Parts: sequence; C-alpha cells; structure tokens
Amino acid sequence: MANFFSTRATKGLLNVGEIYCPKNGEFPSFKEAAGTAYLNNFVKNVPEDDFNSLSLVLAIFSFLPNFLLVWIINLCTNAQNSPSDGLLYSNLRQLNLGLRGLCYSIYYSEFTNPNYKGKKALDVLDYKLNRVTE
Amino acid sequence: MLYDFIVVGSGSGGGALSYYLNKSGAKVLLLEAGKFYRKDTFPKTEAETSAYLYWGGGIEFAKDGRMGFLRTKMVGGSSIVYQCLMDRFDDIALNDWKNESGVNWFTPEIMAPHYDQVESDMVLHTFCREEMRPNGILFADACDKLGYKWGYLRRGQSNCAPEKDNDCTGCLGGCFRDSKQSSLVAFIQKAEKEGLEIIAETEIYKVEPNKDTCKVHGFQNGKQVTFEGKKVILSGGAFGSTRMMHMSGYKSKLPALGKKFASHPQFMWLGFQNEIVDAHKGMFQSVASKDPNFRAQGFKLENVFASPISIGMLMNETGIEHQRLMKQYRYMQCIEVAVRDENAGEILCDNKGKLTVSKPLTDQDKTRRDKGHHAIENILNTSGAKEIYKSKFYFGLHLMGGCTMGVDGATSVVNPDFQVHGEKTLYIADSSIFPNAPGINPGLTIKSLGHKLAQQLIK
Ligand SMILES: Cc1cc2nc3c(=O)[nH]c(=O)nc-3n(C[C@H](O)[C@H](O)[C@H](O)COP(=O)(O)OP(=O)(O)OC[C@H]3O[C@@H](n4cnc5c(N)ncnc54)[C@H](O)[C@@H]3O)c2cc1C
Repeated sequence: MANFFSTRATKGLLNVGEIYCPKNGEFPSFKEAAGTAYLNNFVKNVPEDDFNSLSLVLAIFSFLPNFLLVWIINLCTNAQNSPSDGLLYSNLRQLNLGLRGLCYSIYYSEFTNPNYKGKKALDVLDYKLNRVTE
Repeated sequence: MLYDFIVVGSGSGGGALSYYLNKSGAKVLLLEAGKFYRKDTFPKTEAETSAYLYWGGGIEFAKDGRMGFLRTKMVGGSSIVYQCLMDRFDDIALNDWKNESGVNWFTPEIMAPHYDQVESDMVLHTFCREEMRPNGILFADACDKLGYKWGYLRRGQSNCAPEKDNDCTGCLGGCFRDSKQSSLVAFIQKAEKEGLEIIAETEIYKVEPNKDTCKVHGFQNGKQVTFEGKKVILSGGAFGSTRMMHMSGYKSKLPALGKKFASHPQFMWLGFQNEIVDAHKGMFQSVASKDPNFRAQGFKLENVFASPISIGMLMNETGIEHQRLMKQYRYMQCIEVAVRDENAGEILCDNKGKLTVSKPLTDQDKTRRDKGHHAIENILNTSGAKEIYKSKFYFGLHLMGGCTMGVDGATSVVNPDFQVHGEKTLYIADSSIFPNAPGINPGLTIKSLGHKLAQQLIK
C-alpha cells in the first residue's frame, strides 16, 4: 500500500515544521508556506515500517500543546550530542534527522502552498540554480 | 531463456561489468531494482531527487542514528548522483588490501591495465586554475599559506557548458546533459545500443546457484519473477549485495558476510565569508588536499558543497538560529574531511530483508577526524571566515565491504576470482568486496575490478 499521511499526521508535521522554520523576518512560516499537497510524493519510497512509525509519531504530535512539542524537539536535537547509544537516544536521533529531512525538503523547495503568495525560503536564500540542457 | 551472464545491479560495478561482458558477444541480462531515468527524465529539484532516487526514500541511518548513508536506486546506481571524481588507488591502499585479504594481485602493476581500459572508455577532465570557483580558490590559497599540499581534481565529464554558466551541483541529482560520466553515460547506454538487455524495476531477493547455472528470484511490479544464467554476478553495492546474500541464507555458511563494513565518514564544516562565495555555482568542486602528511594521518579534505536541503541537514539548530545560518547560504565556504576509517561496521539483515547497519567510529577514526577538523579550522581561519559552523552530522557516500574478497572462506565472502566461496556460478563485483577502506574515491577502482572480472569470465 502507498505511504499516505492522514490529516492528523499532516497537522502534526505542520506543528513540528513551525518549530524548525517559524515566521522570522523575510523567512515564511512553515505552516503558511509548506505545500502539504506534495507531502505524500516525498515519502512514497520510505520503507513502510519506517513510514508507519513516523506517521504515528506525527499524529500524536498533532494533539500536543506547543510547549510540550518544543520540549520533545529539543530532546531530539540534544540527542544528537548524547554519548548514549541506547535504544531511546538512537531512536531520538533518527527521529530528529527524519523530521528535519521532511521539513526542510518542503521548506527549501519549490513545492509551496498554492495559496501562499509571499517570498519562498529559497528566495530568501537568493538561491538560483542554472541547469543548461543544450 | 538461459543467459550467459546475469548482472544484478547497474551501478559503478554492474554498469561497467555488463558493458565489457556484452562487448564480447555474450548474452547478458542487466537487472536493476530502481527505475530507468535518462538525462531528460531525472527529477528537476533537490527535494524530488532525494525522495525519488535514493534507497530509504532519501537517506538510511546507522543503528545508533549518528550517521547517514546515501545510495541510489535506479539504472546507473550511485554513479548517477556521484561527483565522478576518478582516482586510481595508490600503493598504500592496494598494499593494505593485499595484507588484509591475502589476495596477491592487489598491486598497482596488475591493476594498471584495468585502470587504463576503464579510463579510455570514459571522458576525463583535470581541472585548472581558470576553472576554480571562489570556494576552491579560498581553499587552495589558504593551503598554500599553511604549507598544506593540494591538487586539481580529475572528473569524468565531457561537456559541462561552463561558458553557459551551467551549475553542476544540480548534477548531484543526475546530469541533464549526459556530460557527467556516470555508468549510464559511459557504459550502459553504449551497451544498450549494442544489444545489452536491461530490465529495470526488478528487485532480486534470492540467488540459487547450482553446479552449472544460477537462478535469481525477484519481484517485478509485485509479481514474482525468476531468471537463469550460466553465471550470475551480484553488483548491488555494499548494502544491496550483502542483503541478497543474507536473504539467500549464506550467513551460516560464510560467517564473514556483512562484516568489515567501512564508509569513509564525511564531516562538512562551513566558514561564513563577508563576500559572496556561491559555492553551489558552476563546476563547483575542482580541488582537494593532496598532502602526503594527511594521507599518512588517514584523512583527506575536499572543497565540496550541496543544495539548501542538504546544507540545512548539517545544522542541528532549530528556528531562528537555523534561519540565521541558512540566510548566509551564498556566503558559505565549505570543506569536508573524509576519514579513512577502520572496517569495524557490520551490515545485518532480518528475514524480511530489513537492513540494520552498525557503524561505530573507532578511536582511530575519531583521531583521524579530529586531525582533519584541525586542518579545516586552520584553512577556514586563514581564509578569513568570520564564523565557522562545525557540523556534527556525518554521512557515508562510499559504502564498502560486507562481502569482502579474501583467500580464506572463514574471513571473507568471495575468493580472489570474485567467486562466492564454495560456489561455481555465483560472483560478486562491486564495492561490497573491498577488503578495507582505501581512503580514496572508490568509483574508478570498482569499475576497473568489473573490467578485470569481465576479462576473466570471457576467457
Ligand atoms: C552523492 C555521492 C557522491 C559520490 N561521489 C563520488 C565521487 O566523486 N567519486 C567516486 O569514486 N565515488 C563517489 N561516490 C561513491 C560511488 O558512487 C559509489 O561508491 C559507487 O557507485 C558504488 O558502486 P557499486 O556498484 O558498488 O554500487 P551502486 O553504484 O550503488 O549500484 C548498486 C545498484 O544495485 C541496485 N540494487 C541493489 N540491490 C538490488 C537488488 N536486490 N536487485 C536489483 N538491483 C539492486 C541498486 O539499486 C543500484 O542501482 C559518491 C556517492 C554519492 C552517493
């Protein structure tokens, strides 16, 4: 079966994304700019087990108050520097990298919300890539 | 249909090997788990590249979540996304292979004709001063001041259109011009014209060798398929071939299966300059360290860079601090250290085919990393960086070992003739057979080993 985020999981991702990439000066807010319609394309090759775990975590995140979510994200971030190789810290590190990968793939991409008319994050970086075919 | 040869996996190893086998007039089938993309169908953006082309849907992680591994799933394998820096192994690397494996043909003299042949089948270009971009100039000038030796890189490319301001960072998602010498461009497309049969989107999970032939079983569009060849060569890469061997039940016969995994852990640090560097523009990577002291100390430095999503992944900060760092994207100077690591990793696989990879950094690896970091810090400071970002995240692009070559079946998986120990019709030719980490870009040697095996099989 194809990987498909539920509305709950998508809401959880938007909440997490806002912590990683908030509205800040020219930078758009993740919630406003993220093209969630494209989200399922980005996870179609993620192994089913990994996707299901991620999806479940995100669905749980959608119910959490912001302060708790910030605390969890900090825990994940700090796990990156922890010397422990135990199951908890290993999973937190993988979650940290998985969440950041997903959020940045949407945020630093051309796939923005069609209703969002402001500057994209890539424009804020002034990033342009010239690819010559002929 | 009974093929003369079936090659499973179409990356650096499988692409070159099937080209040379096909050239001999043999009936060759090349099987590949991933899709068949071409220069005009590669994904157009970084986000799509990562999600569509890579195994794991982007990146796979070591068990401890500290390290990421990158390998791709498509015709051409990881050579579609590689930077195509083509280096021969030196005496140090080949000698260490010989000592570790007991294989006496790991010598520069015996490897030379295979390197010669592969090099003559690729278009290779050595960069010069005029082609250097600011990221390279900052690196080279600082190395000169510090007394570190550096040199120009040699890359497989035929026509990158620098005069039209083509940006080659994009080619890390597949070259739109067929300029970069991937296995697809240098070997597979040529062999296709000469009759090589290629079947994509077919993932093999089991090999079944017998006295005279070998069967491979896999899935194609959800349906079970079987192919049979007089000889089967696995070229699925360190993870892919090791996984197929695990799933075929070889762990009990060959205890070394999955062991001796190495990956040249790479750590990228950023220096923020006052002037625009635009490290992502043009032919973005032209120089690297060529310092015998660094080689002796077990690391090398390269002036690499990447597109925004990948650069964002280097940073562990969130929110406003993350954005502050990213805002300086165009001002970033970037240097990475690649560690010549000990082969202390292990690739395990459960009966459903799920891989678990352990890749601890040994004390020696950490010492080498720290020496490399010290050199990077010196270079960034000497080039006037106003701030240095020391990323802790590290990743492996050179996945090696798991089915290592050696004379002894107790400590290796294939014999010096590339045959799986105890089998007559099953071979392995890719990065999984590397006895240990060479500390040098592996691509050219993987292809040259493919050429060596092809010569032997054609005989
Ligand atoms: C971003 C990046 C940059 C790099 N830059 C350089 C560089 O500049 N120079 C250099 O020398 N090296 C570079 N490398 C490393 C180089 O690309 C690899 O070491 C090399 O391609 C490995 O060759 P391989 O044949 O062992 O495996 P791969 O090239 O990975 O090919 C294996 C193929 O087998 C397929 N496969 C796996 N399992 C199965 C299965 N069960 N059934 C069917 N097919 C299967 C895979 O889909 C894949 O196509 C880079 C790698 C990356 C990711």
